[in-house]
Amino acid sequence: MNRLFQLALASALVVAVAFLALPVLAIFLRVPPGDLVTQLADERARAALLISLKTSLIAHVFILLVGTPAAYLLANRAFRGRSAVVSLLELPLVLPPAVAGLGLLAAFGRSGLLGGQLNLLGLQIPFTQLAVVLAICFVASPFYVRSALSAFEAVDPALLGAARTLGAGPFRVFSRVALPLALPGLGAGSTLAFARGLGEFGATIMFAGSLPGRTQTAPLAIYDALDEDFDVALALGALLVVVSAALLLAVKLIPSWTRSSSPSTTLSAPFVSR
Amino acid sequence: MKRLAVLAAVTALAGCGGGDDEQLVVFAASSLKGVADRIDPAAEVVFAGSNDLAAQIRDGAEAGVFLSASKQPLEALRADGSVELPIVFASNRLVIIVPAKNAAEVNHIVDLTRKGVKLVLGAEGVPIGDYARESLELAGLGAALDNVVSLEEDVKGVVGKVALGEADAGIVYSTDVTAAANDVLSFPISEYFQPTISYYAAIVPPASDAAESYLETLLGAEGKDALRRAGFLPATPS
Repeated sequence: MNRLFQLALASALVVAVAFLALPVLAIFLRVPPGDLVTQLADERARAALLISLKTSLIAHVFILLVGTPAAYLLANRAFRGRSAVVSLLELPLVLPPAVAGLGLLAAFGRSGLLGGQLNLLGLQIPFTQLAVVLAICFVASPFYVRSALSAFEAVDPALLGAARTLGAGPFRVFSRVALPLALPGLGAGSTLAFARGLGEFGATIMFAGSLPGRTQTAPLAIYDALDEDFDVALALGALLVVVSAALLLAVKLIPSWTRSSSPSTTLSAPFVSR
Repeated sequence: MKRLAVLAAVTALAGCGGGDDEQLVVFAASSLKGVADRIDPAAEVVFAGSNDLAAQIRDGAEAGVFLSASKQPLEALRADGSVELPIVFASNRLVIIVPAKNAAEVNHIVDLTRKGVKLVLGAEGVPIGDYARESLELAGLGAALDNVVSLEEDVKGVVGKVALGEADAGIVYSTDVTAAANDVLSFPISEYFQPTISYYAAIVPPASDAAESYLETLLGAEGKDALRRAGFLPATPS
């Protein structure tokens, strides 16, 4: 009976690994590595990669600048409706991307909720790179805010209290105590959010459209190339697999790097909290 | 993705029609919805892009009849004997669509070149995209391509962005407009700037009686009537 159970567990694992790894493997088996590089030299593939990189980086700056303080506040304040706020922030995680795109159009589109006001400011967002950035922010920021929140929550409040009693102002407490202690979690969340943003497709194609050289990101270029040049699609796909795998690996490694590079956190903890 | 959808549909059909050898499967271009499925109630009709359907037939999909929205997908099939001689059975025309409000005041094809007009077209390689480009070239309005804000993978993408009011104009088949009638206005493109858009029917060998009679109905009064009601024009010689 015990053996049978072990066998069942093992076969479940084999099935899971085979099913999840096979499609990824198949991409690499269909393009010879040499072709991969030449296909990526394709002008449209290069343009799409550059746009992806640019919009993802800009979106990421926004996500970090707004997400970090927001998560810090949520971690350190109990207020009514807090869990509702947290759920709202996490909603894009489970929302179908097409719904995200519809929502962005309904809010920021020309005939959307804020369309009139934006128009007065001379801003028309759909079909621009700003639309791509907003789509990425919308779908990717929850990944960051979520891990930032749990990272800040894991910081011993006694440490923050001790810093305050020692005369540190709120900003100093945040920047010198909370931030360094939460850094591994922030780094992991940041990387995940970046990877999610890089792969963004559904909201982007609805909100920003797809124009090579302007709003066509790498995932959109893959879709566009499907019926014309399957090899370019495969090459771009393979590259995204490599980048995503590297980012995932980074998420796994970040905690161990930071732990060894900031020994002060482990030293100070027992000292202050007792 | 589209290819997978076709594959799934074909597999499903193969599954349920397994014991029935007489079951006719018709592969039809998406724009023929509402026509190809009314010709023979017993036939199973698979709708998808003509290019994707052609690829399936080349890979051995068991279609009896292939209805293509353009000539090009048929040419390779014809060359290797995958289809019998194609017959033109209908034609279509391009129209310009604008949002119901038409805030950008696009009233003529020339307006598509006006600075700031947001134009949405089909992507290159997608028939509706290639036809639209051909039409703009015939009109000497290649400059309109500078106004393109998005290249969509299918007609639905073009109609959708115009219907939502985010784009100022798009170019689609006249038969596509009925579905979004409330949200878009359309006006025809002049005769002189119309590319030839012919729909071809071809039997995929081996020819069956069901396939032959499907074609007869399609080319006969009944088919002509269905085509006309869906907004198609009679076949033009090409």
